[in-house]
Amino acid sequence: MRDEMDSEDAHRYPGLSAAGEHLLRYLREHPHAPIYRNASGHRLLPDELPALLAFADQVRDASIDPRAQPLAPWLRSFIAHTMAQTPHYRAYGSPPEQLQDLPSITRGDLARDVAAFVPDDLPIDRLINFRTTGLTGQPLLIASHPTVAARYLAFHQRALRRFGVELRSSAGDVGVLLVGWQQRCFTYVSVTPQLGECGLAKINLHEADWRDPSDRGQYIDDLRPEVITGDPLSLAALLAISFAHQPRAILSTPMTLLAGLRTQLELRFACPVLDVYSLNEAGPIAVYDPALDAHVLLQQHMIIEILDEQGQPLAPGQRGEITLTGGFNHCFPLLRYRTGDHAALELRAGEWVLAGLAGRAPVRFRSASGAAINNIDVTHALKPFALPQYALLQRADGSFSLAIHGIQNADLRAVESALRALLGEVQLKVSAHRQLCDKLVQYRSELGE
Amino acid sequence: MNLEGPPLEQLLRRLTETPNAFLAEPRMGPHGSVSVPALVADVLAAFGLRADSAALARFQGTDRAKQRNPRMLTQILCWLLMDPSLRGKIPAPELLRLLFDEANSLAEKIPAKEFVDNDERREELSRLALRSAGLRPAGESKNVAEDRWLNVSSGERVRLAAASRAAEERARLIREALERKAAEESADKYSRE
Repeated sequence: MRDEMDSEDAHRYPGLSAAGEHLLRYLREHPHAPIYRNASGHRLLPDELPALLAFADQVRDASIDPRAQPLAPWLRSFIAHTMAQTPHYRAYGSPPEQLQDLPSITRGDLARDVAAFVPDDLPIDRLINFRTTGLTGQPLLIASHPTVAARYLAFHQRALRRFGVELRSSAGDVGVLLVGWQQRCFTYVSVTPQLGECGLAKINLHEADWRDPSDRGQYIDDLRPEVITGDPLSLAALLAISFAHQPRAILSTPMTLLAGLRTQLELRFACPVLDVYSLNEAGPIAVYDPALDAHVLLQQHMIIEILDEQGQPLAPGQRGEITLTGGFNHCFPLLRYRTGDHAALELRAGEWVLAGLAGRAPVRFRSASGAAINNIDVTHALKPFALPQYALLQRADGSFSLAIHGIQNADLRAVESALRALLGEVQLKVSAHRQLCDKLVQYRSELGE
Repeated sequence: MNLEGPPLEQLLRRLTETPNAFLAEPRMGPHGSVSVPALVADVLAAFGLRADSAALARFQGTDRAKQRNPRMLTQILCWLLMDPSLRGKIPAPELLRLLFDEANSLAEKIPAKEFVDNDERREELSRLALRSAGLRPAGESKNVAEDRWLNVSSGERVRLAAASRAAEERARLIREALERKAAEESADKYSRE
């Protein structure tokens, strides 16, 4: 069988066992398998595994304090090393006494020259990249490494443990099914060495990727993935497919998962549905906990500042731009990276959380009475509905346009009523589109306020 | 260089003892605490000189990413130049050139605090200040002073030029490596952003 495998597979799955080979073949050649259009693998070397398992232990047991002050010893040394080794940060000069003395960076800085953010003391032969077009459409290539990609699992395990789920998958099982629902989607199969080479399949639920659309449910039932991950749009598409399998958990990234859709997923699959705040630039940052009504932080070596528009740090409880320092991607160290996302950092029930997380810059709308309406209010108003994706625009003349994408079964009149209850008797046009947008700007106003 | 100035050790010691106030963050917008234009004006006044507001305004940084380091070096230079042995010995245009252009040039590749913490960088800055005042260290002949200056300044500049070329080459290799990987594939993550 090894002869039949792509010669590149040796690089994709170093140290692959016979059982792992068998599983990959099963995933690819299953009679109901989709058309796998790409190839990818973990690329982990066997001698990298012990450190990864130790890392997972540290993540599991870590207590998390994201505050920049006082400068923790690890943070002081991270800042000094990053400023000494990374071309962009080197230009800042000498390490500061406090983090806030350093300038912040934005996605635009990263997009201008990614090489300037890769430390000099890093071998480049095993660099990989994560590519994203971003919600603002600004393309970005993030330097990374196979061990960085593999560390994601440790944070997901921490998040899952919070909801009582310990991963049990091992050799022969399918650990995770990553679902997409796009016209074009990168699809492949792989194994996860940290979990005994259990299987990983990234599939596209779009009908065009299947010989017969009815294969989708059959394939999922036969694979019996322990966890299913996807964005809200793909998870909404999953709801429309008939199959019996119940995963032990569902992870939603990276867009806001509205409560209505989460409830539908919970009802259908009878398992925890986790809304994970995750960025290509920084990995999984926080998971939403309904009991706290906030996103609980996941990374012990990630400092989070909340900045105002002038870049000044705000006190806990005050809402501003989420700004990151640290992280687990040693190929792409972050020093005060302004994410463009907004929330308040708070201590709730003894844990640091991001409250009121909105993955976009706040947008202020104007109601019929002239009152200012925060986009968070719109999110709240639309919460009861299972909207996979939507965009609200207020034009310069004050009229509104709500475009709903990937719609399955929402009651448009009820959606309109909910918005009118918030905005008053404004001119409002609601349109529904079957097609999803890969990335869209959720809230926009042309009023210039 | 024709006149003998203070012993080099005097300036080296002064740099070692740079007060924290001169190593604090230069003020830019709402950030930082040190007003560099005011500091420069103080130095000029101590030399019995004045500068027009436009000349001083150049020291008011706006972009912390680019100007934090050179302005911090301006602050360190201000402290050094206030040494009694140098006061009144540097004309205004040269003083401003030293505090602005030389600081910009030196800070391009070297963290400002290195000029306090590192033996060679302290010597470079001390000799630079003496040269600007037309002085050489006490006890050194003109030739020896010139030779030592070339040693500490040129040696470092050659090293930095080589480092700069290496950095450009590395950036090119990184960009190529990432683009190549982008054309192929990435590695597994348990979820996708």
